[in-house]
Amino acid sequence: MSDLFESLGLMRLLTDFFLSSMDLEKFYERTLTTGRTIFKAKGGVLRIEDQAKGSLEVHCSLGDYHWHPLDQRIAKRVFFTQTPFCLNRKGKRTPFQSILCVPIQGKGKSFGTLTLYDKEIEPFQFEEKDLWLLLVIAQQLSFAIENVTARREISTLIQEQEKRVKQLSTLWELNKALLTTVHFERILHLTLTAITIGGGLGFNRAMLFMVNEKDRILKGAMAVGPDSAEEAGRIWSSLSQKRESPSEWIAQISSTSENHSLLNTLVKGIEIPLENNSCILSRTVLEGKAFNVEVPQSEEGWIQTRCKRGCSLGSEIGCYISEHLSHHPRVYSYATAPLWGKGKVIGVVLVDNLYNQNPITQEDLQYLTMFCNQAGLAIENARLYRHLEEVHQKLKEAQTFLIHQEKMAALGELSTSIAHEIRNPLVSIGGFARRLDRLISSEAPEKRYTQTIMKEVRRLEKTLSQFLSYTHEEPLVFKEVDLREIVEESVSMAIQEENGGIQLVKECSSSLPLVKGHPEQLKQAFFNLINNARESIGERGVLSIRIYPLLKNGASHVRVEIEDTGAGIKPEHLHHIFNPFYSTKENRFGLGLPIVHKIVTTHQGQIEVDNRPGKGVTFIITLPAEEGKGDEKDSRGR
Amino acid sequence: MKKILVVDDEESIRLLYKEELEEEGFQVEVAKDGKEALAQIPRFKPDLITLDIKMPGMDGIEVLKQIRLFERQVPIVMCSAYGEYKQDLTTWASDAYVVKCADLTELKNTIRRLLGLL
Repeated sequence: MSDLFESLGLMRLLTDFFLSSMDLEKFYERTLTTGRTIFKAKGGVLRIEDQAKGSLEVHCSLGDYHWHPLDQRIAKRVFFTQTPFCLNRKGKRTPFQSILCVPIQGKGKSFGTLTLYDKEIEPFQFEEKDLWLLLVIAQQLSFAIENVTARREISTLIQEQEKRVKQLSTLWELNKALLTTVHFERILHLTLTAITIGGGLGFNRAMLFMVNEKDRILKGAMAVGPDSAEEAGRIWSSLSQKRESPSEWIAQISSTSENHSLLNTLVKGIEIPLENNSCILSRTVLEGKAFNVEVPQSEEGWIQTRCKRGCSLGSEIGCYISEHLSHHPRVYSYATAPLWGKGKVIGVVLVDNLYNQNPITQEDLQYLTMFCNQAGLAIENARLYRHLEEVHQKLKEAQTFLIHQEKMAALGELSTSIAHEIRNPLVSIGGFARRLDRLISSEAPEKRYTQTIMKEVRRLEKTLSQFLSYTHEEPLVFKEVDLREIVEESVSMAIQEENGGIQLVKECSSSLPLVKGHPEQLKQAFFNLINNARESIGERGVLSIRIYPLLKNGASHVRVEIEDTGAGIKPEHLHHIFNPFYSTKENRFGLGLPIVHKIVTTHQGQIEVDNRPGKGVTFIITLPAEEGKGDEKDSRGR
Repeated sequence: MKKILVVDDEESIRLLYKEELEEEGFQVEVAKDGKEALAQIPRFKPDLITLDIKMPGMDGIEVLKQIRLFERQVPIVMCSAYGEYKQDLTTWASDAYVVKCADLTELKNTIRRLLGLL
């Protein structure tokens, strides 16, 4: 019995030892020596399974028993059958007389074996009570192993959690940054910078491609990354000196900084058909999932290429990369991730580690995917915002147009009553003047008076008719006209001989296509412009008229420029010159330019103003020409 | 002698038309609005009517419709200060349309044409 108490005391010491050190290797050693003491054995072996290798490894041995092949065989058998083994024999030929081997097991699983050899006291054999005691020791051992394993697992988990928390907080910072703007280019720049910067996702380079649904292509949008290994090294060494949080470097990315890198220029020029299955970028869009590719070095020291065009990506990037990889790289790793926006893939991010050649782990890819999910939403938002702005601009233009139309309608109504109020008295004045005129003999001086009244009334009536034709839509009959003739007539109407101080310079193209238009209206329009120019010049100056053919958007046009050396238009008036109610000193009736505008737009033409305040103004009229209809007439009026 | 009824709300126009047309050899009576005109037609029995469109009360278009209810044959010349009534289909019920002008040649020619005097 005293033996048993001694044994229990030793085992208690063993447990205390383990609890104080938690060192498994030392515990194995201690267990084996304690076992030898308790059982008075000559030696022993402790084997633990190496799960990676799938073999039983000797962790501790007393005596040289573990060299014997029999020891390994017995240990394997005990380990796999989970059944203790005991053998006592007499005779000197075997290397040992007695052996006791038990499995170290817990929760139905074997961790290893514990073996003792050659009992040195009477009866020199292991007995049943020895077996039971050794099983208890093995049990203790398995508890210790389980305990330590569990601790290791927990600490690994904690480390992983810490890493995940760090990733999440970085993601949160990046997302916060993405929310600071709706500017499309800036969002792209932020996204790619976040992917490449060390404090962010830390890839070497990042490229972004957007899906163009209309043309079914993937178009390069932007790229961020060094152009050469030297540049990469420079950037990294400067970055490692200053440790900044994402929010700090985000603030430094200015929206205006132009990205002139070679990579960016190259990526922007790339267009890949979406239906190109051999290209990993198209596949990322079509399959909506991320890809992680590692291209091993070939025998010749080059990166192996797979696409028909000779690049590993199925796009020009691979070819571009190959140029950089002539220094016998180990591997080239790249990955793609889809950008999701409103339930569909709106783009692709391509990342690689070209310069440091680090492999891209599954975890890196997961991190990238998480970030891309957020970035996709931000990019989609920015895109919608940009679209909204475009629509808003169009709406504003339409509104301006409507307001103009409304003013015209108001003017129409006003003109109706004005016409009535003015025309009736004019009929009486002119009519009675004619009656008087008939009574006066042609020699009498009064004849001149009545003639003058009649002439002025005629002029007023004509003005009134023109005014009404401006405000009231009337069906127009368009003819093929030669603008040179029209302008010539307008010039002769507006400029009389007595305008001696004005130098008239005319330049007409010798070959000019015909224009479909209303001759009287066009005459009126050019008359108004030339008349304005003449009035603006005043006493002395140059009035230039240029007429020439022009190819615009592939269609034939005729352009007429009327330039004066007058005072120009005051900038504050410029916005209103086509507004029928706006009158300035330069514009007596306030209707001259609105009429021109109306006539030009009725002819599907365009009017532009090149205003040089204090120096003069040029009105540029562009009218669509009749295709293929022109003549070779020499210009007149040169 | 052919008889013409001139309907216009402006007194000076009435005077001008009356004198000018009488000089051309017509017998002319005037009415200052639609009501007066409708009352005069059965008694005066004009061979032609000139009708101003814009008048207070009943406008020329309305007067034209009323006249046509009982007098289908008499030629009617619509006179107006502005051209937009050209688009009004009801003026097609008239026989001619003249924009008012100090030069009455067009009006006189129209009248002579309608009365078969040309």
